[in-house]
Amino acid sequence: MSENEKDISAFNRRDFLRGGSVATMMAMLGGVEVFAQTNQAPTGPTKVNVVKLKVAVIGLGAWGREIVNTLARIPEADIAAICDTYPAALKRIASVAPAAALTEDYKTILDNKEIKAVVIATPTGNHKDIALAALKAGKHVYCEAPLANTVEDAREIALAAKGSRQCIFQAGLQMRSDPQRHFLLPFIRSGALGKLAQSRAQWHKKTNWRSSSPNPDREKALNWRMDKTTSLGLIGEIGIHQIDQQGWFINALPAAITGFGSINLWSDGRDVADTVQAVIEFPKGVRMIYDATLANSFDGEYELLYGSDAAILMRESKAWMFKEVDSPLLGWEVYASKVQFYKETGISLVANASKTPPPNAQGQPAQEEPFINTPLSYALGNFLRNSVDLNSAAEDYKTSYGADDVDGLAEHLAKVPRRNAAGYLEGFQTVVTAVKANEAVTTGKRIELKPEWYELK
Amino acid sequence: MKKHLLISGKITLLLLASLSLQAADQKTIYAARSGSKMRIEGTSNIHDWQVESPFIGGLMEVGPGFPTEPGQEVKPGKVDAKVEAFITVRSLKSLEKDGRPYSDSMDGIMWQKLKGSEDEVTKKVPYPKIEYRLSELVLKEAPKAKDGAYVFDANGDLALAGVTNKISMPVNITPMADKKLKITGTVTVKMTDFKIDPPAPKIAMGFIKTGDPVKLIFEWIVAPKKAPTAASN
Repeated sequence: MSENEKDISAFNRRDFLRGGSVATMMAMLGGVEVFAQTNQAPTGPTKVNVVKLKVAVIGLGAWGREIVNTLARIPEADIAAICDTYPAALKRIASVAPAAALTEDYKTILDNKEIKAVVIATPTGNHKDIALAALKAGKHVYCEAPLANTVEDAREIALAAKGSRQCIFQAGLQMRSDPQRHFLLPFIRSGALGKLAQSRAQWHKKTNWRSSSPNPDREKALNWRMDKTTSLGLIGEIGIHQIDQQGWFINALPAAITGFGSINLWSDGRDVADTVQAVIEFPKGVRMIYDATLANSFDGEYELLYGSDAAILMRESKAWMFKEVDSPLLGWEVYASKVQFYKETGISLVANASKTPPPNAQGQPAQEEPFINTPLSYALGNFLRNSVDLNSAAEDYKTSYGADDVDGLAEHLAKVPRRNAAGYLEGFQTVVTAVKANEAVTTGKRIELKPEWYELK
Repeated sequence: MKKHLLISGKITLLLLASLSLQAADQKTIYAARSGSKMRIEGTSNIHDWQVESPFIGGLMEVGPGFPTEPGQEVKPGKVDAKVEAFITVRSLKSLEKDGRPYSDSMDGIMWQKLKGSEDEVTKKVPYPKIEYRLSELVLKEAPKAKDGAYVFDANGDLALAGVTNKISMPVNITPMADKKLKITGTVTVKMTDFKIDPPAPKIAMGFIKTGDPVKLIFEWIVAPKKAPTAASN
């Protein structure tokens, strides 16, 4: 459902080059970085109509607010309503979406026929009821990852999504929509790194993750992440994005996970680890070493893939390749921009596709405008455009061929091309991984993952 | 004997009457079905391009004697047929040569040129559809093979971007299973004939200049329209 599976053996390195042919020519002229297509509208006198879609955001915690800020900068988004059970949360973000209706009851949004799509960013445990009701109401649904805290709930959501043939369902695995990662995917899958040795990823941020409220019930609800009955912890809530991404590049699902977790800094009564480590085993001996901590911020968030010919480092929307001295020369690398990382020379593979200036000589990113050209922005943009495309296709089918051909309509809608996005299957599979990863972390054991657990039935 | 003749005469009259009623009603209406496709092929100073829509809507009405079965006896000449067909502009999407989606920007420019600008207040566009109306259909030859096509010349009006032009094109009609008809044809038109300036959008290294002539290739599948339960006549 998410992207074309190309015949990897037929992937030609020259096609990789040709894919950015204009950019390549410019690279040869002046050493400019190779960058991915973004299909941005050309500047010029033609003012192109943008088809807007009325969308609502349900759940206005830190990530919900990030979503509202991001949608506010997407031309296709018409934020018609925002919802939270906490009035203070509504007030806090209202100015970003001044035309949006404010509500504490998500059902008013589902009853509103004008609102065609909803983004669900409530605490994980609350996703299911809202997602199922939204699909039943015929809304397109973007549901944050992990979809649920249990495999059973995730299965229920995924099967409902599968059956709602006129609705777009997108899981909040925003990396799956990032154009730079899609640019890298065939490159990595073609074996450009040589034989894969291992993978590593981390998420470091010194923060207590805690919100406060004078109301004890509200405080408990706000701090759902710190409670083992409502949270899959650092690895299930944060790590899942990075584990999913690496599995996507490696083209395999985890076979086993070993984990550790402890509270090293924030002993404030929480029962969820603030520091976790895990080894995720993929087939053929390729293991991913993961660590996440709320106790230290050094080096933030990144993912690494190590191969016998090169390693690739991915950080936010940028990527660099570090070649082994004995690996074959790829002609284009002579012209590519290079960045020094201590003793290593990184060949810049991908630059941010916006017009922001390139990193400085030390590899530090230039000042960038927030909330645009982030993976979340691409994910939400693709969600809205997929929803608009599906709506148009359904309306045009009925206008052209009649409204009585229901099966023909469903068959047609299934073939409408979708922009890159994680669907219900990826959403379901990442919950299987998240639940087992969290189990490994909380028990300190090695948990094997049976392939049939990943099948959606 | 006389009585018998009289009765049989009345029956004959009734039969004849009902036959003539049938003859008068023997127009068949065909409705558009899925499987239809409109393909537009064009050129530019950089590369050729192609656009497709999976929707051709509308109706075709044919009179008695219109070839709807393989191997029907038909004489060349003008046939009794009416067609009103349409394509929604927004369903036209640009494609790579292998059929994958090509470019949002190109789609946006194309729709803008075809649909016109959205009204600020009503949010409606002036020309959301491309429309065709047949004025004359002439049979040229019957199929050479059993499952071959009947070959026609079609004259009609094509309306897009608020401009209507007469177009003539050869059209093939092939009867299919389930009483469906497959109607195919190709015609080349010029954008400027419809008062559209061939788009010349800016790109990183200059401009793309689109070629004026474009080739329209269509395949329209129609099936007899299911009659609603009619009142007795």
